[in-house]
Amino acid sequence: MTTAVAVRGRSQGDAVAQTMVLARRSLLSTWRQPQTWIPAIVFPLLLAAVNSSAMSRAIHLPGFPEVDSFLQFLLPASLVQGVMFGGLFGGAALALDVESGFFERLVASPVHRSTIVIGRVAGATVLGGIQALVFVLVFLAFGSPIAGGVAAVLGLVLIGMVLALAIGAFAAGLGLRTGSQEAVQGMFPLAFILLFVSSAFFPTSQMSGAYRAIAENNPITWMIDGARELVITGFSFADLGVALAVAGAMSALSLRFALRQLDRRLAASA
Amino acid sequence: MTAPIVAEGLVRRFGDFVAVDGIDLAVDEGEIFGFLGPNGAGKSTTVRMLTTLLRPSAGRALVAGFDVVTQADEVRRSIGVALQDAAIDPLMTGNELLHLQATLHGISGSAAQLRSGELLERVGLVAAAGNRVATYSGGMRRRLDLAMSLIHEPSVLFLDEPTTGLDPTSRISLWEEVRRLNADGTTVFLTTQYLEEADELAERVAIIDGGRIVRAGAPAALKAAVGAPTLRLHIDEAHMALAVQTVCGRFGEQRPSREGVLAIGLEGGPSQLSAVLNALNDEGAVVDHVELASPSLDDVFADATGRRLEGAADDAAVAAEASAEGSGGGRRSRRSRR
Repeated sequence: MTTAVAVRGRSQGDAVAQTMVLARRSLLSTWRQPQTWIPAIVFPLLLAAVNSSAMSRAIHLPGFPEVDSFLQFLLPASLVQGVMFGGLFGGAALALDVESGFFERLVASPVHRSTIVIGRVAGATVLGGIQALVFVLVFLAFGSPIAGGVAAVLGLVLIGMVLALAIGAFAAGLGLRTGSQEAVQGMFPLAFILLFVSSAFFPTSQMSGAYRAIAENNPITWMIDGARELVITGFSFADLGVALAVAGAMSALSLRFALRQLDRRLAASA
Repeated sequence: MTAPIVAEGLVRRFGDFVAVDGIDLAVDEGEIFGFLGPNGAGKSTTVRMLTTLLRPSAGRALVAGFDVVTQADEVRRSIGVALQDAAIDPLMTGNELLHLQATLHGISGSAAQLRSGELLERVGLVAAAGNRVATYSGGMRRRLDLAMSLIHEPSVLFLDEPTTGLDPTSRISLWEEVRRLNADGTTVFLTTQYLEEADELAERVAIIDGGRIVRAGAPAALKAAVGAPTLRLHIDEAHMALAVQTVCGRFGEQRPSREGVLAIGLEGGPSQLSAVLNALNDEGAVVDHVELASPSLDDVFADATGRRLEGAADDAAVAAEASAEGSGGGRRSRRSRR
């Protein structure tokens, strides 16, 4: 019945180019809102400063890992804490896109649908790597050695990136589900709880009872312990592998969740 | 060749609520088509269906020759869309957003740069292109929104209430740009709640109310079909019943109007104005203010629905008005429009 009229627009865009341009937007937006990333760096550092002062003698407790200082013990915890908060902010920005109507602008264009999530999460991933590097450099500057050397530093940056991907995707999924930035930011307490019932701020060997059981079975503990070995013992692919496996599994689940929420939101218009 | 926009029995339901109730449309190539109606009439829902953002509950629509459901990707490649509220990231610059939009449409490198430059010049944003959108005025945002929607040289452009909230100067500037685009061959589907905008820009309009198209055609033809000019008499509430009794039927049929105003279709035309005022004066009905206007799109809407378009009275008041002492000692004004 119909004949298509000539289309003056170009072909459907290249998914890689679309992902890159959306990731660039994600990075620029975050950089231009320092209120979203400065706290994610400053607060974990402040917490580390307070903890390392208050708990400095804890490293002499029997069973405590052999470390130069409590600060050295805390590096992976601060890194994970900062990256989790940064990732939450990065992913929450997708909720703002929904609120502002920018998401609809994207959907009205011939964009590959999944790049809306992947572009946003790719931006968060790069930021996670930058955050991890900043934490490492600050801790080094305050005399906290990294036993694994350059390889360990690269490993920590990689862990930061994969964890940021996981948290960013989870936040993006929540943002798509709720369409509310506040709802995503409401997840901050959950991130805190996950950290506090892990080996982040104290080794599980010093815990007892149910708290210890929960902490030992918390994947965050496995990830932090893997990263911590790189810092206090030396580089090993096994330790890096454990940390990356946990962050990678979280990323896979989160990405799946986010893409499902994207489908769900797009289907809501059907 | 198929018309650039065709809708047949298009329906959209939200639960039990029918937002769009079986509309038919056929927009010709190269025309500016005005889609006019009050808030909540179904304008934006229709646009969202035509731009693939919302799936129709029933019926079908073809845009640029492609089915909006089964060929949604092809539709998106063919159309430009500037939605209500110009959702533009305030943290990005005009240049960055144009580059982003170009990439989404598969335009990259020097082609994107060239096209962005052309569009920025066209919408008068060259100087501001490097600034963040947060620093732009409402009019600048709308112009950037328009430029973004044109990055891929679409054959069909959807503008959803493009001038809502703009000051008169920005509105006129945007109208000029829409006319220029249309002169270049772009088919424009324009939704608006401003009568004047539809009247100024559109070659044809469809008026939607309650999800149904109640009138469609060229504005001049629609207005001519309404017939007699509208006489609006601003009358004190105490004298309203008396005025209705004196005027309605004798000089013309009563038309919908807001409270405190008696509107009639003045059958005998402007020459009957003094006869109406004299009759009211004789009966002792005080007239505070008089307006006489040729039929407007608001009259077309009122004729079709029995109601006035929201804010339409203000547009209609562009009709010349003057104040004078009323026939019963009150003030009276008279002027005619068009």
